[in-house]
Amino acid sequence: MFLSFRSSAGFIGSGDTYRRKLSVELNPGLNSSVSPLPPGVDLLHIRALGKSDTLHFLFCNQGAPTLLLLHTNTTSSTIQVDWPAFLARNTTGSLRVEPESSVLYSSAVVLTRLWEYDDVNNTADPEKVPPSSFLPPYQLQNFTWTGLNNKTLDPAGHTAQLCGGDASPSFANGSLCLQFSAFETEGRDQGWPSLLHNANSSQIRVWLDGLLPRANRSRFSLELQAVGGPYPLGRVEEIRSIDDEYTPSIFQVSQWVSSPSNSSSVVLGFVQWKPVAYRRAKPVFEDATPCHHTASVPLGQAAPASGLVRAFYGSKPSTTGLNVSFGIAGDPFYAMTNYLSWTMLVGLGHPPVDTFSPLVLSIMAVGLGTPMILILLGGICVCSRKRATPQSQAYEPIN
Amino acid sequence: MADAEERQSLLGDEDGVSFSGRRNAGEPGRPMSAICDPSHLLHRIVVLLFMCFLGFGSYFCYDNPAALQTQVIQDMKLNTAQFMQLYAWYSWPNVILCFLGGFLLDRVFGIRLGTVIFSLFVCVGQVIFAAGALLDRFWLMEVGRFVFGIGGESLAVAQNTYAVNWFKGKELNLVFGLQLSMARLGSTVNMNIMGWVYNRIASLVGSPGYTTLGVSLMIAAVTCLFSLVCALVLGFLDKRAEKILHKDQGKTGEVIKLTDVKDFPFPLWLIFIICVGYYVAIFPFIGLGQVFFIEKFNFSPAEARAINSIVYIISAPASPILGFMVDKTGKNVIWVLCAVVSTLAAHMMLAFTFWNPWIAMSLLGVSYSLLACALWPMVAFVVPEHQLGTAYGFMQSIQNLGLALIAMAAGSILDNRGYLFLEVFFSACVCIALIAVVMLYFVDYLRGGDLNLSAADRARLQKEATSDSEIYKHPNQQTERGLARLKPMSAFGLRNRYLSRLGAQLPDHCSSHLSSLAHRSVLK
Repeated sequence: MFLSFRSSAGFIGSGDTYRRKLSVELNPGLNSSVSPLPPGVDLLHIRALGKSDTLHFLFCNQGAPTLLLLHTNTTSSTIQVDWPAFLARNTTGSLRVEPESSVLYSSAVVLTRLWEYDDVNNTADPEKVPPSSFLPPYQLQNFTWTGLNNKTLDPAGHTAQLCGGDASPSFANGSLCLQFSAFETEGRDQGWPSLLHNANSSQIRVWLDGLLPRANRSRFSLELQAVGGPYPLGRVEEIRSIDDEYTPSIFQVSQWVSSPSNSSSVVLGFVQWKPVAYRRAKPVFEDATPCHHTASVPLGQAAPASGLVRAFYGSKPSTTGLNVSFGIAGDPFYAMTNYLSWTMLVGLGHPPVDTFSPLVLSIMAVGLGTPMILILLGGICVCSRKRATPQSQAYEPIN
Repeated sequence: MADAEERQSLLGDEDGVSFSGRRNAGEPGRPMSAICDPSHLLHRIVVLLFMCFLGFGSYFCYDNPAALQTQVIQDMKLNTAQFMQLYAWYSWPNVILCFLGGFLLDRVFGIRLGTVIFSLFVCVGQVIFAAGALLDRFWLMEVGRFVFGIGGESLAVAQNTYAVNWFKGKELNLVFGLQLSMARLGSTVNMNIMGWVYNRIASLVGSPGYTTLGVSLMIAAVTCLFSLVCALVLGFLDKRAEKILHKDQGKTGEVIKLTDVKDFPFPLWLIFIICVGYYVAIFPFIGLGQVFFIEKFNFSPAEARAINSIVYIISAPASPILGFMVDKTGKNVIWVLCAVVSTLAAHMMLAFTFWNPWIAMSLLGVSYSLLACALWPMVAFVVPEHQLGTAYGFMQSIQNLGLALIAMAAGSILDNRGYLFLEVFFSACVCIALIAVVMLYFVDYLRGGDLNLSAADRARLQKEATSDSEIYKHPNQQTERGLARLKPMSAFGLRNRYLSRLGAQLPDHCSSHLSSLAHRSVLK
């Protein structure tokens, strides 16, 4: 009961009006004297300036698509890229923050593989499905991508979109797309799942559009890996939430968080998502399909095949990973719509906590307040009536 | 048996016109066995059995959509707003039929033929509904629900009229209680069984789909067929009793005059608001409840159906007990206030907490029963007897109108905004009812407090009123009450009108709220 009160109290939260100033930069420091990037590969750098700190978002699809988050304690930190070394992909340290000592926190999230399995028994549980039902996964590091150009990069809205696929026939008419967005202040996306973001978070939306399934009863699962400095993302929390206004019928939030080893209540960085994927681009209530995820597994020092991770963290970073699988038992299969979309927030500090919308609060206030006011007014009326006219005694019958 | 009847009618009808409470048929020369003698208790118990099962099919099939919500939505490829249309179409014909039901039963068809006709509508409606699923045509399913609705509510009126015709006085309470329990049993059995039936059919047919849904609904239609058979048997038994006992066909005795609406007092309008605001937060909620419990509280489908049916399960035993309590203590407005407040608490619990929903649903079941027992008799206290038919008809009509509109609204709210907003919406509806109850309490208090009298006060008022009136004879033309209204108002009628204006409890044998209960389905 106490937990439910605590979580409900969190809903009437104060608005987070912390703002950051965003500036977008594509391939910082790349000039024509260096050999050009391979086609479709770009490094996007978004700088989010706070009052006395800076948050650097680096999004790159050299190798597997990666988002690198860097938090520095000064407003004048810059990103230096040694482009020849970066392109060669065999040395570390080709991406640096100047000044190096100002880095407070760093974390990278890599989308490594897309798993597909044939769900013959309709259980939607990849851990229970026999290994023979698993089809060869799509390695995202081998994809070819459409580049970030003025059609797919929106500097004013701070969003970038990438679509790609590999050479297999499944991608003949379809693609896997990613949309990365950074935010200046608190807000919500329009489309479902309408995750609440703040200035310390960014959003990645992944969707499969038109990809052909390779089995009759295909379901998909996305593998994510996280690399961190001293404290990579370590544990996944599932928080029950009573508010499903923005994601109808989903009452949970999942958070993959990193905490320092001595206290688990302090959260340094997070990946947050609602366990729901949508089967249509403009989903309605029935298009929601819940998701499951595995626990966060330490992967030792095997670095994911990502150019950005190698450039910043070197070849032996501490890595953890998990799989997010889409669909539950009895749900329609991917082949019903050939579309699947899922969104996550990656950010710094404590994950945002959902609050009630003002409409709900006002309805409850009016609904509960009006009877109270009426009772009060009525009571006053009755009391004043009693005082004004003295109680007339009914005459008792004489006999 | 036919010989025996002829001999008996030739012997003359010393049984008399009324057959209230005659227990023994042991007169010499009577060839009929106890079970065949319409005046004997055993025969009337058999009739009671058929009467109870008359409504079983209608209540079983009313909540079929709720029991099969996920299956209907998936197989027919609907969204929630379209799904709730199935409930809206049931309510639309009853907006008008509430006024016409009594008239049709009394003047046009007669109770026997009318019951058979309405049972036929129920049966045919359910068959059309199932056929729509078999043929994968949603509009046909909506037509089926419309036809089903035409029969459903009027069948309840017919069932109650049969009850008033065959049973008198204190027995009537028990009979109504039994009918209510049978109705609730039908709803409960439906909630818990239909899912299992669907799964069995799915394994027979091979895969779930609209064919499976259609076959399951056809199986549900068998209960309606059973009710139709009961209606035919009841008609036969009633006709036979009429021949043997020379009594008239039962009448609802209700007179509807729509011009009376302008004379309705303000407390009655508040009662209407309470009725609408309350029931629209119960029935559409139960319609959408199963998926709510599955999604929010992670129940299995079977558990979710069980908890959805708890409201009905509780109201079966609770209604007679609470009715007895409310009758004994009076103070109806306070009981209505308690019921509304506890329903509001239940909805808020379901909306804002993860507390075990069994608590909230049990609270909902008890408060629903309490409100039904306390609210409907209040109408009889505010309105004179000759306007009771119109008042109840109007109340049911706007209740059905509210249910139809809110069912559609609930579906589209859920589609766009989710369950929390839906629960907040239902809480807001209950808040409207709460506002009306609070206003009713104060308006009644400031006007003298007729509605909120305790039973003792009411009895005292009645004694004072009748102590200086003449003693009147026991009216043995109970069944000709309807005809009595066409004559100029008798002394008896005048006295009743005076007593109901006082809010006094009328004597048992002409208890106006009981007779109004006879005319109206209290089961909603």
